[in-house]
Amino acid sequence: MEAKLNMKKMGKGFIKIIIAVVVIVVIIAVAVMASKSGGKDSLNVSDLQPTVSAPVAALSDGVVDTSKQLDGHHLVAANENYELYLYEPALSIIVKNTKTGAVMESTVRNEERLGNVNETWKGFLQSGIVVELQEETNTMQKKLGIEGSGAQVNVELIPGGFRAKLDYPTQELGFEAEVKLYDDGSITASIPESSIYENADNKKIGNIYLFPLLGNSRLDEKDGYMFVPDGNGALIYLDDKDGRFDSGYVQKVYGSDIGVGESYVLSLLWGSYETHNDAEMILAPVYGMVHTGDEMGYLAIIESGDEEASIYATPNGAYSDYNWITAAFRKCTTYIQPTSNSGGSVTKVTDRIKYDIHVRYMFVDGADANYTGLAKRYRDYLIEKDELVKVEDTFKVRLDFLGMDVENWMLWKKDVPVTTVDNIREIYTDLEKEGVTDILSIYKGWQDGGIFDLPVTSYNVASSIGGARDLSKLMDECAAKNIDFYLFTDGVRANTETGNTTFDTVKKMDKRLYTQNTYQNVYREFVYWTPQKTLENLKTLQKNFAKKGVNKLALSEIGNTMFTYTMGDTMQTRRVSKYLYEQALQQTSASMDLMLEAPVQCYWQYAKAIVDMPISDSDYIYTDQSVPFLSIALKGILPMYGDYVNFEANEREYFLKLVETGIYPSFYLTYENPSELIYTNSSDVYTSQYSVYRQQILSYYDELRQINERTKNSIIVNHEITDTGVTIVTYDNGVKLYINYSAKEQKADNVTVPALSYVVGGV
Amino acid sequence: MRKKAKLVVLLALCLSLILSSTVIAETPYRTYTVDGYGYVLETQSAYNPASAITKVGETSFVTPMDMAIGNDGNLYIADAGAHVVMVSTIEGHEVRMIGEGTLQTPMGVFVSDDNKVYVADRDAKKVFVFDLEGKLLNEYGKPDSPIYGTSMDFKPIKVVANGTGTMYVICEGNMNGIVQISPVDDGSFLGYFGTNYTSLSPFQILQRLILTDAQRAQMLSNIPSTPTNLHIDEDGLIYTVTQGDRDMALKKLNIAGKNMLDSDPYWADLPAAVTTGQYHNMLVADSDGYIYEYNEEGELLFMFGGRDDGRQRIGLCNKVEAIAVDNSDRIYLLDSDKKQVHIFTPTEFTDLLHEALYLFSKGRYTESKEPLEKVLQMNSMFDYANQAMGHAYLQEENYTEALRYFRLAKSADGYSDAFWEVRNIWIRNYLVMAVVIIVVFGVVLNLYKRRIRIKYGQDGAPAYLSQKIPLLGNLKYSLYFMRHPFDGCYGVKREGHASLACANILLGAYILVSIIEKYFNGFLVKTVREGRYDIISDIGTVLVIFIGLTLCNYLVVTINEGEAFLRELYCAYAYCLTPFILIKPFVVLLSNVLTYNEVFLISFANIIILVWMVVLLLISVKEMNNFSVKETVKALALTAFTVLILTLLICIIYVLFSQVIDFISAVLREVVYRIGS
Repeated sequence: MEAKLNMKKMGKGFIKIIIAVVVIVVIIAVAVMASKSGGKDSLNVSDLQPTVSAPVAALSDGVVDTSKQLDGHHLVAANENYELYLYEPALSIIVKNTKTGAVMESTVRNEERLGNVNETWKGFLQSGIVVELQEETNTMQKKLGIEGSGAQVNVELIPGGFRAKLDYPTQELGFEAEVKLYDDGSITASIPESSIYENADNKKIGNIYLFPLLGNSRLDEKDGYMFVPDGNGALIYLDDKDGRFDSGYVQKVYGSDIGVGESYVLSLLWGSYETHNDAEMILAPVYGMVHTGDEMGYLAIIESGDEEASIYATPNGAYSDYNWITAAFRKCTTYIQPTSNSGGSVTKVTDRIKYDIHVRYMFVDGADANYTGLAKRYRDYLIEKDELVKVEDTFKVRLDFLGMDVENWMLWKKDVPVTTVDNIREIYTDLEKEGVTDILSIYKGWQDGGIFDLPVTSYNVASSIGGARDLSKLMDECAAKNIDFYLFTDGVRANTETGNTTFDTVKKMDKRLYTQNTYQNVYREFVYWTPQKTLENLKTLQKNFAKKGVNKLALSEIGNTMFTYTMGDTMQTRRVSKYLYEQALQQTSASMDLMLEAPVQCYWQYAKAIVDMPISDSDYIYTDQSVPFLSIALKGILPMYGDYVNFEANEREYFLKLVETGIYPSFYLTYENPSELIYTNSSDVYTSQYSVYRQQILSYYDELRQINERTKNSIIVNHEITDTGVTIVTYDNGVKLYINYSAKEQKADNVTVPALSYVVGGV
Repeated sequence: MRKKAKLVVLLALCLSLILSSTVIAETPYRTYTVDGYGYVLETQSAYNPASAITKVGETSFVTPMDMAIGNDGNLYIADAGAHVVMVSTIEGHEVRMIGEGTLQTPMGVFVSDDNKVYVADRDAKKVFVFDLEGKLLNEYGKPDSPIYGTSMDFKPIKVVANGTGTMYVICEGNMNGIVQISPVDDGSFLGYFGTNYTSLSPFQILQRLILTDAQRAQMLSNIPSTPTNLHIDEDGLIYTVTQGDRDMALKKLNIAGKNMLDSDPYWADLPAAVTTGQYHNMLVADSDGYIYEYNEEGELLFMFGGRDDGRQRIGLCNKVEAIAVDNSDRIYLLDSDKKQVHIFTPTEFTDLLHEALYLFSKGRYTESKEPLEKVLQMNSMFDYANQAMGHAYLQEENYTEALRYFRLAKSADGYSDAFWEVRNIWIRNYLVMAVVIIVVFGVVLNLYKRRIRIKYGQDGAPAYLSQKIPLLGNLKYSLYFMRHPFDGCYGVKREGHASLACANILLGAYILVSIIEKYFNGFLVKTVREGRYDIISDIGTVLVIFIGLTLCNYLVVTINEGEAFLRELYCAYAYCLTPFILIKPFVVLLSNVLTYNEVFLISFANIIILVWMVVLLLISVKEMNNFSVKETVKALALTAFTVLILTLLICIIYVLFSQVIDFISAVLREVVYRIGS
């Protein structure tokens, strides 16, 4: 009896032990998995050093007469066309065009002209380099000029320019800056990371402005404009703004940083409808200043530090009477660290973000002193640096298809197929009959689980759209017909409901998971893969696609997403995410044709074409004119496809914009009525049915193809808007396009352009 | 003179340049509309932001509170902080300042068709009238009339005037309504106009019944809200918006003060201003920067705009005070927080829609079809256009097309009208033939029945067959059960007139008929979105409810000395569904040929079915268990209680289970996170 009881007791104890063992084993297994996933691919990229290739042009290192003076500045370097002067105490430079005598100054030396500004802004306007000081965890950073802040400047002349050592003894920090002049009329300015020191614990460099007032002008004393790379490009005129604005254009290069949580006002209609459209992004790290009256201007290209730079373009009236444009480089930033779920938080400061600052100011003069000149200069620069490779550029109409999405159905999700493989085949046949043969297509939502079943790492085709075999067959047919058929996926986002997102997702600086709200019904939020995981996903995808012979891939998000995040306890900067994405794209593009959605400049070289190219700017209150800067630079080199025509309310104007910019048209099509989609996450696709758009596709195709026959393989050499409001685009083969956006017939160059229409002229 | 003309042309040109050069940019906001079911859908941008006025000449705004557009095309902006009315061209050039030295706190401004500028000055407690040059013509203070109320203050904040110069004034703190003042005799008080009424919620009514007078006195008094803003159109109709009035925020009042809108088309909380366009379209601006456009009946066309997200993009506002529309359909929005006027231009999409609205209002229906078709080409889900197409075809007497478009627009009223016509034509054409066919069919049926009787005897073939196949007999019994429930129950319980198979078939038939009802009902009585099928969950719902109820009921009756077995109960309850199975198909058929005029027939039939089924069910419960009436009531009450408990139990189990899962996953994540870092 007792023995039995003992046995029972033992049995009970035994079960307990077994449970304990199982639990321990499970925990260890999970831990091993976790450490593995954290450990793999842990590239040591936090100290990545930039690779700024040397400029092709020769250094202007000839001996100069340093006693030659200009406005208190003395000559430090010169070449055939330009002279560089320096005023050491303020590190102020003047660039003089010796042919025309025009100058651009980098500070305001004349105290009287400064007007009524406070000490902070006075220091800003009078210094060649301005540091914003991060004290403790203050969210407001103090601006430090040079002369007023007790900074010590030691200048050493070097061949082609000078090197200045700046020390701020009160703040116990300092760095070196180097400025050089080159024979092609460009000036480089740099602050190497290695020269930076910060000795005080509570005082750090927040932001650095390099020559913030280079090319400044007071009120409307100069004709001209500032060029900001908002969307396709925009200008802020140098006219008297009458104090209308109390701030200027400020945008982060390559878009905002989700990792630091920049604040914004969320505006939801009735609590559930997202009403804002995001502003256009800065895709190219450039800005410019042109004095059209003096026929002098420059294009500044941020060669290193672009990931952390913000572009400031400030018209007169905001802070001071001066117009100035510059880039500010972020060296550290503050973020809010929540300490409890009920809203408690502390402000923290990040470590210093390590990178060299390197800006190239490329000066233009004469007929090139306008935005077209800047764009041409930019194009030449990119080609010279192999950042842009000429791709065969033939006109194609882009017809994207949405395969399927899912909607909630009882406890599961249900497929809502709207364009099957057979449907696409039918559409192609129908278009072919009408003579539409040059087509590029991106097929979205082809994968099992629909367009938002992420990540996509294998060729797993949804059976509701026809299955893998049929899709492969269609792709073979497309290859035979010379139709570019790309499969689409999202490179960055992860769906918590369809993938295992326990590991490898992006945590912000505050170590909280980043989530993106969709304001839709099926999948309410997405998270981001870490760039490490994206790289791995794309590798797997590449391998699996190669097995099935798929070699055309369209990627969204990856081309224009950049963020600071944390892995373990270390901060990973935007530079890391850019570096890893570049690795991923480089690798993928080696064996596949890539199509990137609105990519930033550094990825252009990996794309066969750019899709969703911004056609205009974001319409900020202080920008005066939208200019197709990127289009001028890229037309004829890299094919560009615009946003979807479907959703344009001003169809005719949009069409004319396509003519003007040389961007190819895009349509988002479904075979079924898009009303099928209203309960899916794609409910924002409200008009897409092929039968509705058929006629429009045909007419767009015919008209734009004819124009492109004339401009094929040519680049844009001039873009101007006449006094009558006619836009004239000139190509290097002599073809001129006259576009009239007004509701009245207009004349230009003796060419009559009908209202809301265009004329192809020239030779 | 020619110089002047040139200047005007040049200005116009500059303007068109300014406005057109930025039009294509992506709007900072999204535009939504609603479909016929009331579902919110995105659509093409209706208006694009064009430019913003930040200053009038050299003068910045201080506290701009109201804005009006004169016949001269200039903007009249009442600035309470600057104590003037600024007159500006739409490019922001100063024309003149009105009322310098006279005005104290101008809160409202209105420019009449006869070129008089009315200014409501709150602190001066007067309404001033100027001419366009700024010469003071008249001023009106607090009305002397005792009807106005001697203790009532006069603090005008908004004013409009009609063709005869009668002023409609909104006064701060005056809840009686809009003050109507005639210009004769230096301002005689005509009475209050368009008074808002309060409404009580059931809870408040209850409160009032229970509370003592002293307690009630302590409660917030329930007084009507003063209108926030008003507008007058060229026909003299007054439009008001009222903040805090959830039921009737937007009103369109005729000269007698009667609201011409049936229901409140405005769904948001903070209406700030209202105006009308050239096509009797109404535009309401929300204080948060949203703009709503309605047609004259108050059907929503667009909503767009939004709060500024701090990025200084044109088209986003922080605190809207006034809205105005000019002759080119451009919208002007005054923002007192950003101190700017934002200008929006209509897109091609909206121009088409406005053209259609215009033609439609002029009765040129056929012409209106062309722009409407283009609108639908751009967005086929824009149901307002579908509906207008339907009306156009209806006017053209092309009823089949009208029917098609009304159905697309989910417009039941239009569909009913069109269908009435279509049916009328059909009846005219085929009535005789239909009667003939029915008569012939009846005769043939009779002959057939007679033959069957001759062959199988008096009871006919069904009886013969049901003898051969018991299942058929059981099914046939359901007809008997339906008419004689007492006997029927006895039959089910004692005479073996029921089988599981039969009950299953009946339940299956019920499911089938209910699905048919759901998806094949006539358009006018259909409750589901067209083209959407969810059959499996329909079947599931019926099964779960039926089986659940039967089970619960069985549990209850067994402990209450009921005599029925589960099987018997199941069979009896299945028999109770017979009226639905038999009558509903006819109702569904009928619903497909009825218009709103006769739709009561369907409700009537539905009531009959329901009552019949309930009676059958009650009798079944009673008879199957041999209960008394009292016991039956008790059993039913207990069943209801059991169902409640069961539901609760399921909910609790579900919640607990998901909590456990959440807990485990949270622990795992925490472990992973700790080890991972």
